Amino acid sequence: MVSLAEDVAIVAFSQTPSHAHFNDSEPAMIMPCVNSVIEQVGMDRHDIDFTIAGSCDYLSGMPFAFVMNIDAVGAWPPVYESHVEMDGAWALFEGFVRLQSGDIDTVLVSGSGKCTPGSYREGFSLQTDPYVHAPIGLDPRTQAGFQAQALIAAGKATERDFAEVVARSHANAKNNPYAQLSGDLSVDDLLAEPYLQQPLRRLDCPPTSDGAGAMIIARADKARELCDNPVWIRAIDHRIESHHPTLRDLTDSPSVRIAAERVGLHDGPVDIAELTVTYSPEEIILRDALGLNGDTAVNPSGGPLTGSPFMAVGLTRVIELARAIANGDGRRGVAHASSGPALQQNLLCVLEGDS
Amino acid sequence: MPQLHDVDYTLEYPYTRTTGPVIGPFLTGLRDGRILGQRCGDRVLCPPMEFDPDTFSTLEPDLVEVGPGGEVVNWTWVAESSAKHPFDRPFGFAFIKLDGADTALVHAVDTGGDPEAMSTGMRVTAQYREERHGSIADVYFVPEADAADQVIEPGEEPVTITEHLIGLRLNEPLYPHRARFAQGLLDGKIIGQRSPVTGKVYVPGRGYDNMSRVLLSEADEVVVSDVGTVVAFTELNPVQYYGQTETEPYVRCSILFDGTDQPVIGIDIRDMTVEEMRVGMRMRCIWRDPEDRSVEDIDNRFGNIPESVYTRFEPTGEPDVPADQLKEHSW
Repeated sequence: MVSLAEDVAIVAFSQTPSHAHFNDSEPAMIMPCVNSVIEQVGMDRHDIDFTIAGSCDYLSGMPFAFVMNIDAVGAWPPVYESHVEMDGAWALFEGFVRLQSGDIDTVLVSGSGKCTPGSYREGFSLQTDPYVHAPIGLDPRTQAGFQAQALIAAGKATERDFAEVVARSHANAKNNPYAQLSGDLSVDDLLAEPYLQQPLRRLDCPPTSDGAGAMIIARADKARELCDNPVWIRAIDHRIESHHPTLRDLTDSPSVRIAAERVGLHDGPVDIAELTVTYSPEEIILRDALGLNGDTAVNPSGGPLTGSPFMAVGLTRVIELARAIANGDGRRGVAHASSGPALQQNLLCVLEGDS
Repeated sequence: MPQLHDVDYTLEYPYTRTTGPVIGPFLTGLRDGRILGQRCGDRVLCPPMEFDPDTFSTLEPDLVEVGPGGEVVNWTWVAESSAKHPFDRPFGFAFIKLDGADTALVHAVDTGGDPEAMSTGMRVTAQYREERHGSIADVYFVPEADAADQVIEPGEEPVTITEHLIGLRLNEPLYPHRARFAQGLLDGKIIGQRSPVTGKVYVPGRGYDNMSRVLLSEADEVVVSDVGTVVAFTELNPVQYYGQTETEPYVRCSILFDGTDQPVIGIDIRDMTVEEMRVGMRMRCIWRDPEDRSVEDIDNRFGNIPESVYTRFEPTGEPDVPADQLKEHSW
């Protein structure tokens, strides 16, 4: 079991729909989420001890765009505030660690991304090696294509397996009001589509999305005071593999295996897994590395294949899982966030309900 | 009449990076038509690294030529190339294990647009660009049978710096409140947004009141005066950085328009010296003729009241506003 200095729970959460295009500013997109979580706990804004956000200036298209995002979180008079240039799941991680110090009670976490004005393929190629990868525009979809091809070459998956992930994700999203894509798709029809990034087809890849999410987390006593039904964060862990894809075994995820061990994933039942499956082959790798079997509902929300606002999408996995546990759809589960191309970095977060 | 337009904006950063003792010779080699790997125990790493990827211990530079031929060990076909890719048509990206290397290099393979020509195990060979800059993009690969003989003239100095101009293009409509603000300028009006919570008027509005955390809409918009008070000013002496278009010193000021609670910053003054400017001075906007106005410099991120809508700001001759009444707005 993971030993924590402080028990921490999610006491409020909110997300936007995954927008095909949100025609206003990023702060205007975040603000309703922030207002919602503050309203849910009934606190005065300035009684929240710490505020942290995750976003990406390259997506926003402006140096220091994250500073403008502070407009959304209610930062006047000044508040104690921080930012990570990562998905909001890593903002949650920092907030969780911050609460372990035991001197503050509450953290407001947000994540946001507007992908539609620019090209995420061009933007995210800039997180690769600046000498040997970025100058040739090595983009995340290409790296996902390598991963898919490696799975096929190793006999670990087929294009039909990828299509089945897509069909299941879109079917699950029919019950998710925040999803951008949903519906009943036939695997044979999917396989009849042309390749976009051979061996991947268009729906093996995520839609382009704008969106945001926010939550408030609190130490145990405060959590029970603020919320009748807190969802406990039992553990978080983040592991990284090489940024050189040719040095990795792309058919496996050793970083997920280590993180799963560290969070004690199988110390209890895993009812639900909300996974950052940005490209369909990733679900096959993640199921295997997490050791999931048929007892776990994987991406009942539909996951990122049905709505993928980068920089909010990982935090949204935690929100979707928290909602499912709060609703009693399961008692314990895991949320997964990813950063870097082809599952290079992975974060796992185990949540558990009281009942 | 001038019209509104979508935002088409390119964010650019010109990066220069030192190359170090291993990547430097590697990039020098590419410029000169050879590919170098780094010895690591009994292995050869290509792309070369300054460290052992298994133990992370430092490797002393020990470079050895590899290739130009190699084997594709993994590949994917790019049906729609991006503006940052080496080719503007469909091509393959591949893991290429060069002859003499034990690790693979990621690079582009040009098969003339034919995905059927790609396969695991295929032989490829290096080809060089006519213009080479000491960059990984100096080289690309083709199927071995398609290779042309090339004579590469080596350069002179070793590559110690690499330059990478990154440019991210953004394209989107003006946000609704930005479009109304911009249209107002074309109409010779300055439009602000009044917070229903505090009554404060912001110019230009941002679509929300960040003090009270409420979204603002067209119903909250007001036309404000084009006469106001200078609350801050400075003289800009243009530094010649990448993208700079100014060459001569000029005055930039902030003006608090009458009836508003937030100064408009970044108003440029060309016909007065910094010595003639005063905090508290009353100024009036002299608009350009309607057909001469343009809001092309207004996008969703930048642009308040650009010079393309006014000819000058003219002192009204009214008595100055005492500076201590403006303290809250001195930005």
